[in-house]
Amino acid sequence: MRQDKMKYFSWFVAILMVAALLSGCAKSSNEPLEESPTTTSSDSAEGSEGKLDTSKKVELVWYLLGDANKDQKEVMAELNKMLEKDLNTTVKLNFTTWTDWQTKYNLLLASGEKIDMIFASTWSDYYKFANQGAFLPLGDLLPTYAPETWKNVPKQDWDEATVKGNILAVPATYPEYTPDGLVYREDWRNELGLPEIKDLDSIEAYLDGVKKAKNVTPINGKAYNEVFTLFKAYNDYQQIGGDSGVIAASSYDNPRDIIAYPFTPEFEAWVKRMKTWADKGFWNSDTLSSQVEAGDAIKVGTGAVYWRNAPGAGGYIVDMEKNNPEIKLGYFPFTRFHNYVMPNLSVNNAMAIPKNAANPERSLMVLDKLRNDPKYYDLLSYGIEGKHYSIAEDGKYIVTPPANLKDTKNFVPYGIASWGFRLESMERVKQASGWSGFDALLQEFKSESKPNIFAPVLLDYAPVKSQQAAVNAVIQQYGLPLMMGLVPDVDKAIETYRKQLEAAGVNDVLAYVKEQAYAYYDEKGMK
Amino acid sequence: MGSFFRELNRNKAMFLMIAPVLLFFIVFSYFPMVGVYYAFTRFSFDGGLFGSEFIGMKNFEFLFKSGALWNLTKNTVLYNLAFILIGNALQLVCAILLSELPGKWFRKTTQSVMFLPFFVSFVLVGAFVFNLFNSNNGVVNTVLAQLGLPEYDFYLHTEPWKYIITFFAVWKGLGYGTVIYLAAIMGISDEYHEAAKIDGANIFQRVRYIIVPMLVPTFILLILLSLGGILKGQFDLFYQIVGNNGMLFEATDIIDTYVYRSLAVNFDIGMGTAAGLYQSLFGFVLVLTVNYIIKKVREDYALF
Repeated sequence: MRQDKMKYFSWFVAILMVAALLSGCAKSSNEPLEESPTTTSSDSAEGSEGKLDTSKKVELVWYLLGDANKDQKEVMAELNKMLEKDLNTTVKLNFTTWTDWQTKYNLLLASGEKIDMIFASTWSDYYKFANQGAFLPLGDLLPTYAPETWKNVPKQDWDEATVKGNILAVPATYPEYTPDGLVYREDWRNELGLPEIKDLDSIEAYLDGVKKAKNVTPINGKAYNEVFTLFKAYNDYQQIGGDSGVIAASSYDNPRDIIAYPFTPEFEAWVKRMKTWADKGFWNSDTLSSQVEAGDAIKVGTGAVYWRNAPGAGGYIVDMEKNNPEIKLGYFPFTRFHNYVMPNLSVNNAMAIPKNAANPERSLMVLDKLRNDPKYYDLLSYGIEGKHYSIAEDGKYIVTPPANLKDTKNFVPYGIASWGFRLESMERVKQASGWSGFDALLQEFKSESKPNIFAPVLLDYAPVKSQQAAVNAVIQQYGLPLMMGLVPDVDKAIETYRKQLEAAGVNDVLAYVKEQAYAYYDEKGMK
Repeated sequence: MGSFFRELNRNKAMFLMIAPVLLFFIVFSYFPMVGVYYAFTRFSFDGGLFGSEFIGMKNFEFLFKSGALWNLTKNTVLYNLAFILIGNALQLVCAILLSELPGKWFRKTTQSVMFLPFFVSFVLVGAFVFNLFNSNNGVVNTVLAQLGLPEYDFYLHTEPWKYIITFFAVWKGLGYGTVIYLAAIMGISDEYHEAAKIDGANIFQRVRYIIVPMLVPTFILLILLSLGGILKGQFDLFYQIVGNNGMLFEATDIIDTYVYRSLAVNFDIGMGTAAGLYQSLFGFVLVLTVNYIIKKVREDYALF
């Protein structure tokens, strides 16, 4: 009898073990996707006077990237009060937080959670998800449920949000240039009499001068972004359809000359130069493991250079002027290597509706309000007037902390990643956080702007995804150390890198990207 | 079938007690196993789990491309073997030492201190490691410089990392495992010790001839349990300590970090599931094999 029970018990243990073992493989997949509710414009939601029917009270679930603000609850309560009155709706606003946002974002869409609206963007794989059918087509809904938005957003912007003939997102109306560039300590450059930064040689001279005279590591922390964006800009390599790994067009003027850059002599020359930079100590040998932002080192006086895009640089510089006024910074946009810049696509920031949203119509109505009614826009973008901001005398821009606030010491500014529903015409904050140097820069960009022909190429890598995955792994293992000049023998490392890339199937990926890009160019009538 | 119901009827209370656990595993472990099917499909949002196109073994291809799989499997298995064997051996030794310590207060304190690392997250461990070994102002290099010795660039060499990673893995699990062994030691009846003492056995003899043999079943059970996960690297341990530092991958790349790296840019449910399935199947087969061997050798030690 006892023996018997023991037997049952051990069987039970065995089952538990197997269960625990196998449970790991289905982490992300325990919920089969449900069929999305059918949503067509013929939903007869229109009432007698062309007014939309909002008799049913609805709670919407929205997702934004990033973190909620400390006062988010208060702001949402305020917003929902207005929404309830106007549209008989409340919105539950969720955030992914910035930690691992990519994974969370992917899972939100893949798990089929009921979400009525979510942030979408080219840099969070809008085109890939759109191509896979993650978002609801909005073409039929927009004229009815978001008429103002439908009217106001330029056709070009809608076109950029269109995938396979369907509009799948409502792009923000906020034209932007976000070219890469370097923020650097201008005061040190002046003090040391270093040449003005205008090309690669002057950058090298600056790094060298700072390293020697100030005895600091110029890019003190993670340095890969600095070096890699510089590499791309210097050689005018343009990545295609977002992050295309080692595949790039060889220049703007030759969009059809698509290459895998590690196989070029330019790459060879570059990594050899980077080896000398690394040996001179422009960054640390542990840079690839470091979690430190190079910008944080500048703040405490132990660094000199930091990669930022142009508006980001503005924010960083303004912040520095406020907190460390003794540090003077300059900015060098990489556009000056080849004297042109491409604007962001409209879907660089957008709002989309996932396929199985429960109330897409109401969600669009709320978005329409949000985008066109300053009361709504200001509240969700800038917080509560008098508590988080006050309107400046010009009636247009805002002042933070609010003018009449006495206790400015404990003031916590309000701000969320509201980029998905931003409109230039509604903004009350200047681009680049009001950095004084930005206007001139914007003039410069506008005068040399060229159409963005690379970002809209639609790539989902489906036919070559195993090759792409293998190539990604190779880039990380062999490409990054090479790019950062950390390898002992550059020639040998280049050879290994190329061999590994070929083994991983880089040529298949290249052929795929070429095919897709050519198809896009043909469609647009480019030569 | 009839006998099953008779059994059910006879031990109602027992089955009732086990029901929640069974339910838990059915809902959270067996039911989701259906998702394994993702490994064989090209996922699309329209199709979902069963509507997506069936593509056979294509999702497994990226593991074999560039021939990385062998090296990855080897690294993963060897690391885990080191963790399991060194870990369990040290836990055993610590448990025996603790059990023989006379002062209760001292024993409790030591035990708590040993347990502490278990609660430290790997993110923190990663920060420790970086601050210990980085080239700029790392503790180790600062000490070396103080002693007038040449500095050592840990992040450019692969050799030290095998030991660093193993050390931290063992350090973190030490307290936890020790408690399990300690419990087993406490379970040994005092009669054995008293009889041995009367026969004039000294403390080493008692450890050698009483405690160690009595702990062997626990030891084997724990080893068996951990073998199942031998292809599951501790992703957080490796990722937090090594990060995306390609310089060190040759010695530190395990299946989990490889999969993460391959799929981080292009999130793909199918390929992720494929990798997980490979790990699980490997572990499953391994447990069955080892259990089979143990059964041949000492049947009462086997799990099932």
